[in-house]
Amino acid sequence: MSEITASHRLVGDSPATSLPLLRRLSTLQPVRFLVIGGSIAILLALIAYPLALLAGYSFVDAHGNVTFDTFEKAFARRGMWQATVNSGWLVLFVTVGACALGVPLAWIVARTDAPGKALVTLSAGISFVIPTFISVISWIFLAAPNSGYLNRLAVEYLGFSTAPLNIMSFGGLVFIEIVGVYPLVFFAVSAALHNIDASHEQAARVLGASRLRTTLTVTLPLVRPAILSAVILVMLDALSSFGAPAAIGTMANFSVITTKIYDLLKFPPQFNYAAAVAMPILIVTALSLLIQKYAIRTENFRTLTGKASADQITTLGRWRWLAGGFCLLVAFGTAVLPVGALVLLSLLSSFGAPISLDNLVTKHYGLIFDEDFVARASIIHSMLLALATATVCATLGLVLGWVVERFRFFGREVISFLVMIAYGFPSIAYAVGILMGYVDLFYGTLTLILIAYAGKLLPIAFVLVRNGIQQLSTDLEEAARISGAGWLRSIRDVTFPLVRGAVGIAWVLMFSLSLRELSMSAILAQSDTQVMPTVVLQFIEDGAVELAAALAVIIVAVSLTMLGLIRLFTRKKTAVVS
Amino acid sequence: MSLPSPAPRFAPPSPQTADRPRLELRNLRKRLGDTAAVNGIDLKVAPGESVVLLGPSGCGKTTTLRMIAGFLQPDGGEIHLDGVVASTAAFALPPEKRQLGMVFQSYAVWPHRTVAENVGYGLEVAGKKKKEIEAGVAEVLDLVQLSALAKRYPAELSGGQQQRVALARALATKPSLLLLDEPLSNLDASLREEMRFELRALQKNIGLTTLYVTHDQDEALVLADRIVVMNKGRIEQVGTPEEVYRTPASRFVGSFIGIANLIEGEVDAVDRGAGKVRIALDGGDRLWSRAPARWLADAAPGSRATVLLRPEDLRLEQPQTPDQERGIEASFLAESFLGNRYELKFRAGTTPLRVQTRRRGTFVDGRARLWVRPGSAWVVA
Repeated sequence: MSEITASHRLVGDSPATSLPLLRRLSTLQPVRFLVIGGSIAILLALIAYPLALLAGYSFVDAHGNVTFDTFEKAFARRGMWQATVNSGWLVLFVTVGACALGVPLAWIVARTDAPGKALVTLSAGISFVIPTFISVISWIFLAAPNSGYLNRLAVEYLGFSTAPLNIMSFGGLVFIEIVGVYPLVFFAVSAALHNIDASHEQAARVLGASRLRTTLTVTLPLVRPAILSAVILVMLDALSSFGAPAAIGTMANFSVITTKIYDLLKFPPQFNYAAAVAMPILIVTALSLLIQKYAIRTENFRTLTGKASADQITTLGRWRWLAGGFCLLVAFGTAVLPVGALVLLSLLSSFGAPISLDNLVTKHYGLIFDEDFVARASIIHSMLLALATATVCATLGLVLGWVVERFRFFGREVISFLVMIAYGFPSIAYAVGILMGYVDLFYGTLTLILIAYAGKLLPIAFVLVRNGIQQLSTDLEEAARISGAGWLRSIRDVTFPLVRGAVGIAWVLMFSLSLRELSMSAILAQSDTQVMPTVVLQFIEDGAVELAAALAVIIVAVSLTMLGLIRLFTRKKTAVVS
Repeated sequence: MSLPSPAPRFAPPSPQTADRPRLELRNLRKRLGDTAAVNGIDLKVAPGESVVLLGPSGCGKTTTLRMIAGFLQPDGGEIHLDGVVASTAAFALPPEKRQLGMVFQSYAVWPHRTVAENVGYGLEVAGKKKKEIEAGVAEVLDLVQLSALAKRYPAELSGGQQQRVALARALATKPSLLLLDEPLSNLDASLREEMRFELRALQKNIGLTTLYVTHDQDEALVLADRIVVMNKGRIEQVGTPEEVYRTPASRFVGSFIGIANLIEGEVDAVDRGAGKVRIALDGGDRLWSRAPARWLADAAPGSRATVLLRPEDLRLEQPQTPDQERGIEASFLAESFLGNRYELKFRAGTTPLRVQTRRRGTFVDGRARLWVRPGSAWVVA
């Protein structure tokens, strides 16, 4: 565990002073000091420094005085108030919608005999993988006011007099966001429902409670923490979402806070206003995380195990087919249709052309890979960044996870706190902080983007690897130490081989997530450092949706392939020793 | 288990160090949170000796062991290994430089390494040649009878076999001191009993110096040359198993090891020459009892005393030369059959008494007179 060498107390009139100097020096462990110190320094540079700058800029005016003027001026700008209100409505609608979709689906999948349950899980996974700025492309294809293929179908064959769907509206944005985030609710709640030990419910049934009463008084309270956590995640996601609002907002002519920040950073960049506008997002985020920490963690005392037993499965009878139909509809509407539309659009000769075999071409892909076109460079940039980010995050996650789990010293809690702040931090605001902190050093380089990716994604790697280390008994490392291995050697020979699975999963996940990152890239990428998502967004804004679709297909395909790799890592059993 | 000849293969004591204790603790202290987990401990372990730290959970025995291993640093006091300072409040030699062996409660056998790789790790780290490592591994695996399983992975082994791997790994580097932290507590009852005797035989045969932590009194009695009974961060008593069982230094020691009947009374006569006192028991009868010398020095007629009587030392028949006058009057409460004996429950006044006998008792009106085996009564305070 924690053998504290206390080298700072070597001087003194204790018995140790009589020890030979050489022997005392042997207790210093320079390698460990260097590795841990270096990692903490990187952590501070990645997260603490930009966040401090962000707070500083919004409270300090040009002359270095503390002031609230910046806020007043920032929010007095034209349209800013409307954007804030829009953000509020967006969060509200998306949260309600995601719960309305996610909770019943989770119940159907975890607790009923409805057909098509596996389909729902798969499609929730797919819509989770597809970023919203990509689903925008699919839905433009399907539901653009006049040219959307669903609208044309409705008008031409179903007898509608006008187009029934309009994705280029606030309602369309809400829909796309709901489809993007409902998996969070779905996965959290269905996992919780799966994990409730049947005996809890059986105990209530034995005491005479009906099935409904048991559900209301036992089951629901048990999954409440899961629902609350998911709600908070959904709210934060909706509040800080940038991709879909940017793509749709441009066309439908409305703004939310995040798109306003983006506008403020266009030439000439107004850092202090951008920082001030980011503050409401920050405050809501901090509040939510506090609520989560204190209101939910205290309730989350139950360690639940087991799988749903036959007793917990509700037989739906005639309703079974209705529930099955609902599952099918969700799978079709959130996964099959958008993915199909995306692939189709990327192959269609031009948006609006009739769908026929003659009109399917590969010229958009040809253009994507054309040497003289911006898209090809962006693919290379994205791949390089994803490789670098995954490697940096997995390494840092391993060292920091170890430090927090195994090393007792003042401030180890500060490490996990800092890391988790970065997790809750809205990407767009974080990017502003990075821009302010490192623009002089790394302007227009991929390094700038790498710093942002690494800082923002580190929390996920940290949590994954830390969980892996948590499952390793400290005895395993101590056994190596007592056998004569030094710190670094015990990590190399024992810890690392045993958490390799978790590190591998973290690496793959980081890779996929960096590939699809848009909000930070949009702010940080310059003309020489475009990445795939920014190019996709540019294509959408320019109306080149076929090209956007082709590039998006590449992103989705690579992401899904990489995530498939996770199965490789998980299949090799990571050793868990209690 | 067939053991090799008792040649001193493990760290033969050189002339200079032969008389030096392998381990010495001086006024060792450690706070964990708000409690003084270890609160001033002095102990010496001689070469070849097997010392057991025994006590209830939370008594500080594991904390002490972890300080000796170097995983925790003391707040005060000193730890000396082979006469050299290893830990003080200001200095701590890292665990890897202490040349110890340790067997963990969880075994801590590395799941990603084969049995041979586990066992050979210490030699590998020490930079030994491949040949030497192979020879060393073969030697200890032979010792713990696992030679046939050298190429297996731990997941393929039973709990008892993993335990042996852990032991072999700790022995492979020929440590000057072997630390064992409740190594048998995860084994099932019969295997645990078997392993106790094997460990004891191994320790004796290869002249190993061991410090063993357990909360299991039977384990301690089998394994120890000396038992160190700990309670609340302090040492209550250090002694041979017989001393600790028959002449406990305190009520705590008496009750923690074995079953204790504790009867209250008042000193009636003192015979310092024979080291005895006569006690007028509160429930009637007078009883001669041995007593610790230090207590005896202050004892005078009229002072209170508590006498420890072991269940196997209480009889239903009057012995030929009793230490008592008329037997302890007791009422019979219950009887249980335990296979090789009966356990009877009585009450003398308000004091519950447990008695072990070979045959069932017969009682008139549920009353009985209990007799103490002569010379077995002992004053605990």
